[in-house]
Order: sequence, then structure tokens, then C-alpha cells
Amino acid sequence: MTCSSAGKEKGEKVLFGRYELRGVLGRGATARVYLARDLRSGALVAVKSVTGLPLGSRAAVEREISLMARLRHPHVLRLLGVLASRSAVHLVLELAPGGDLHSLLLPPSGDGDSAAPCLGRPLGEGAARGYFRQLISAVAHAHSRGVFHRDLKPENLLLDARGHLKVADFGLGLGLGARPGGGGHSSTDTVCGTLAYTAPEVLSKRGYDPAGVDVWSCGVVLFVLTAGYLPFNHPNLAVMYRSMRRGEHRCPAWTSPELRRLLARIFDPNPETRITVRGIAADAWFRKGLDEREWTAMMRSSPPDHPAILRWKEEEEDEEEAGEEEEEEERGCALNAFHIISFSSGCDLSGLFEPEPADRERFVSAEPAESLLNRVEEVAQEEGLGMRRKGKEGGLSGVLLEGQNGNFVAAVQVHRIAAGLSVVEVEKGGGAPERRLWRERLGPALKKNREANRT
Amino acid sequence: MGCIPTKLAKHTPGYEDPTVLASETSFSVCEVEALYELFKKLSHSIFKDGLIHKEEFQLALFKNSKRKNLFADRIFDLFDIKRNGVIEFGEFVRSLNVFHPDTPTEEKIAFAFKLYDLRHTGYIERDELKEMVLALLDESGLHLSDDVVEVIVEKTFSQADSKGDGRIDPDEWKEFVSQNPALLKNMTLPYLKDMTMVFPSFVVNSELDEEDL
Repeated sequence: MTCSSAGKEKGEKVLFGRYELRGVLGRGATARVYLARDLRSGALVAVKSVTGLPLGSRAAVEREISLMARLRHPHVLRLLGVLASRSAVHLVLELAPGGDLHSLLLPPSGDGDSAAPCLGRPLGEGAARGYFRQLISAVAHAHSRGVFHRDLKPENLLLDARGHLKVADFGLGLGLGARPGGGGHSSTDTVCGTLAYTAPEVLSKRGYDPAGVDVWSCGVVLFVLTAGYLPFNHPNLAVMYRSMRRGEHRCPAWTSPELRRLLARIFDPNPETRITVRGIAADAWFRKGLDEREWTAMMRSSPPDHPAILRWKEEEEDEEEAGEEEEEEERGCALNAFHIISFSSGCDLSGLFEPEPADRERFVSAEPAESLLNRVEEVAQEEGLGMRRKGKEGGLSGVLLEGQNGNFVAAVQVHRIAAGLSVVEVEKGGGAPERRLWRERLGPALKKNREANRT
Repeated sequence: MGCIPTKLAKHTPGYEDPTVLASETSFSVCEVEALYELFKKLSHSIFKDGLIHKEEFQLALFKNSKRKNLFADRIFDLFDIKRNGVIEFGEFVRSLNVFHPDTPTEEKIAFAFKLYDLRHTGYIERDELKEMVLALLDESGLHLSDDVVEVIVEKTFSQADSKGDGRIDPDEWKEFVSQNPALLKNMTLPYLKDMTMVFPSFVVNSELDEEDL
């Protein structure tokens, strides 16, 4: 009977028999954020519980969850799972125990009244740049997957245990957004506080491009971090709106000319000419002292949800675990019959979860794995793709290709069946650019010197 | 208390209470509800009777309802625990549970054995193995001579059939798989841990009551 639902223990709050609630991290009108322990894994997580949702808004909730689930990035607070009952929806989220970006600014004495224009001690430009880069990398990732925030502000910018930025509430709108407890300290979260981060075109109540709106909010965050006060703020809202519509802001005297220039390009009231995320990433102030490799890694998201990439990761881990056994197989240096059988598409149930047919191709090759994979890597390098190589000579080896934004491009694996005979197995990403890349570059490179047997 | 009769009537024939299924499997109640969203989709793709038929299973796996495949047939038969030709919701959840990342390896090993024991003799025999290799080669359009196939089957048997009686029994299989863990690759679907995010529509339909919040 569903009426006796799990997790009904008295006193001890255990959600669905799995998440032990340990205390409230933040609360608002309809949402609460709890610190919780996942009893299965032992890990601490945050649980955002939204109650009192009218049934009609559940469809919006569903949409928001699928948006959020699309994101996988080191600086986006990760959704780990969803729980729902008749009365509430709970989002299980990565825990960011370091507070929010506001807490970086608060003066140690904590003496300021909230009406005062000064929010706290500003950070140096160097430190602010670090957080701003993390923010921009997260926003770029989300935008590349069609997800927009629309409410970026310090309360939604959390810090993990290492002090790294984690953007919360990406993709949340009217359904689960219902802001007030984004996970941080909601006391300063007044209507004005939110408006101060809002782009002028939103106030005009006409249609707007959400990407530009996020850029504007990032600019306000950057300004606050380096100045210690809001760029657009006035007790008289009409005056405040006017300065926003004109993009009029006053930087503190210590602001560097490079930063002033960047801020001016962000606070362009015309969304058409405002700098884009891409433009910011190319900006002089933004790039100052930038470690190219680190930035490329940041812009390339951590493994996203494509099943081919998930499988690849699992296998890499298996390989590490297997260790010595692997070597044994290597000496045998051939696949046994059961390995071969396991290539059958009928053995792979992933299709049950994929709306699109997986794009796979197999062919026999007499060429050594090394030279096949080297050719793939050459092309990948020319195309600026990310690569992960695995396996050693003799056994199974392969290379995984990812696009700049972490999209799955292709996985090429070479399985040795018998001496001088291998099966090349290719899985291709489904997007138009990935298909083109395969057709025009990777496919021809792989099949040079041989005719393919298409499946 | 306040036990409103659930909307069971509205569900399909073979529907089972998610809390019961959750208690028997590695899935949480919400994950079972999310799986129900998937099940509804699959079981209404052709026949719309809330049961997964073979054609619907093939459609989901291959995006082609007519594509026959030896292994897909075997898996369908194993999912169809009651052997009535269709997969019901409870069978679906219990069978997929074998593929859950948290499910003990022993269960995966046993499932794979049943999968390959084509004629249900309790052993994987040499001709069964050859039949399966040929089926895969045919499916993939790979061309290998009969000699090569024989060599591969022979070699595999020499490794797996440790007792040398010409057939692989469950103990030999277990031993063989533990030496070749990659053979169980297909038996784990990382997806199953993310069901609530892949099928969030369950939040719209959730019938769970919750008393502690």
C-alpha cells in the first residue's frame, strides 16, 4: 500500500528511508534546504525540499529537473537525484559547505546594517578574477546545453569545501526556483537584492535573450566582488532603474583600466551589443595570467552524461582495478568467444533508455591498433578535440574523443581477436557537427587502406 | 490512517506497488516510480496494453520492431519470468535490478550464464557457443572463415571448461568470469542510478505519501 510510505520513523527524520536529515541549511517560503546523510553511500548531501507545490506546477518542475540533469560541470552544483511524493519534491544535491559568495565579502565585525550601500570588504582583482572565471566557465557550459540561470546572484554562488565556486539552481524557474533558500543565507535576499542583479531588458517586460541576462548578472557579481558595493542601487527604484537602463555605474578609484573596460562592455544596456560569454573569455582582464591548459580543461566539462562516456569511465576504472589480470589477458592477446558475443547489440540494454538509435559501426582490420588509433588522434588534434586513450598494446585499446564543450564526439576501440586480426568498434555522437566530423575526417582516416563492412 | 485507495485501477495489469518492488531491489521507491514512466513509454509504443511485447522490446533496443536478434530474444525470455510472452511491470523492475550497479556480481554472473545457456540444459555447450559467435558475426557483417571461428571457440573452451568435459557448468563459468571481468560489462547499466533524473515525469504522477515532513 502506498499509504504507508517509507521513512516514517518518529523523531528521526529519514527521508524515503535513505536520507537522514541533519539540520536546516536555509529556508524560504516554500523551500527548505537540509543537510543530510545518504545512508547508502555515507556521503553528506544537501536536500532541497519544495512543499506546497500546486499540482499544475509539477509539469514545470519536471522540465526544470531535466534541464538541471543535463549539466555536468565542476562549477555547477550537481543534481544527484530526485525524490517526490504527493506533498513535496526533494532535490538531492551536491553539498557546498563553504557558504556563498556573500560570505567572502562580509566584514569580520559583521557590524554593517543591510541598508548601507557597502556590502563588505572587496576582494582584490586577482582573487575576484579566479571566482569570475569559475563562474563564466559554468555559465558557458550551461548555455552550450541550452540551460540558462536567469537569477545569478551571490546567494546562488556557493563554495565547496576547497573554496571552489558551485553555481546552484541552474535551470530552475517558477516551479522549483521559488527561491528564498537557494542554499545560502537568505536574510539579505530581498526583492531589491534580486533586482540589483537583473538586466535592464528584463525590467522592460518584453521578450529577452536569457544568455545576455546571465552575462549582465555575472557583471554585477564581478562588480560587487571587486568594489564591495552594488553597481546599481538607490533607495528610489525609479532612479535605480534609470541608471540600469543607461548602464551607469561608478567603479571605485582603485579599479584597473582593464577591469573598467570589461565592466563597461558587460553593462551595455543594449543586449544586442553587450559582450557575450565568448567575448568575456577573450577579454584582456579576464585572460590576465591565464593558464591556457587549465582554462581549456575548465571549459571542457567533466564527463557529461553521454552513455558512451560513462561506459568509458567505468572501463577505465575496471582496468585500474584489474591491474595484473589485465596483463594475463594481454599475453593471451586475443579475445575469447564470450568477449566477441558481448559485442552484440542484443546484449546491450542501453537502448532502452536512449530515444535515438546508438550510432555504431564495426569492421575487421588487419592493421595494428596503434597505427589505427594514431591516425584518429592526428585528426582529433587538428580538430581541437579532447582525447582519452586507454589500453595497452596487444589487448583492448581505444581512444575517446570529446568536443570543446565536453560533447561526445566518438569512441574508437580496437579489439584483438586473433593474431593479425582485430575488430574496430566505433560509436559516434549524435549531433550534426559530430556526424560531419565522422563523415569527413575520422571515418576516412580510420578506413584508409581497407574497405569497411558496415553493420 | 487516511489510506486513500490508490489509483491501482488506472494502472496496467501486472502493476505492482513501488514500495514493495523497492524493498526487493536496489532501487529506491522514487527510482521505481521513474522506471514506471519508462515502462509506460515502452509498453505503449505499439500495442498500448501496458505490457511489453517482443516487438516493443526490439523497437526500444534497435529502434526497429522487426529486427530479430538471438541475444535480445534470450534477454526478453529471461525478463518474462512468468513465461507468458510479455513483460509486466514487476518483471521489468526485478530483471533490470540485475543490471543495477549496486547489485552483487554473483547475480550478474548467474544471469549471464542463463543468457548463454541457450537450450536451458544447465550447461553452456560447445555448439551453443559456436552458434552465438556465428550469430554475432552475422549481425555485424564480419567475415571470418570457419577455421578461425573453430579456433576461437576451441581456445575459449580450453580456458573455460576447466574440468574438460566439453561443457561449461555454473562453477566453471563463475571462475572464468572472475578472470575476465570485462565479460560482465553489459550486465551493468550506469543509467539505472540516474533514473529519477532521466525520467523526472514521475514527480507529476507520484502517489507516495510522506508523513515526516
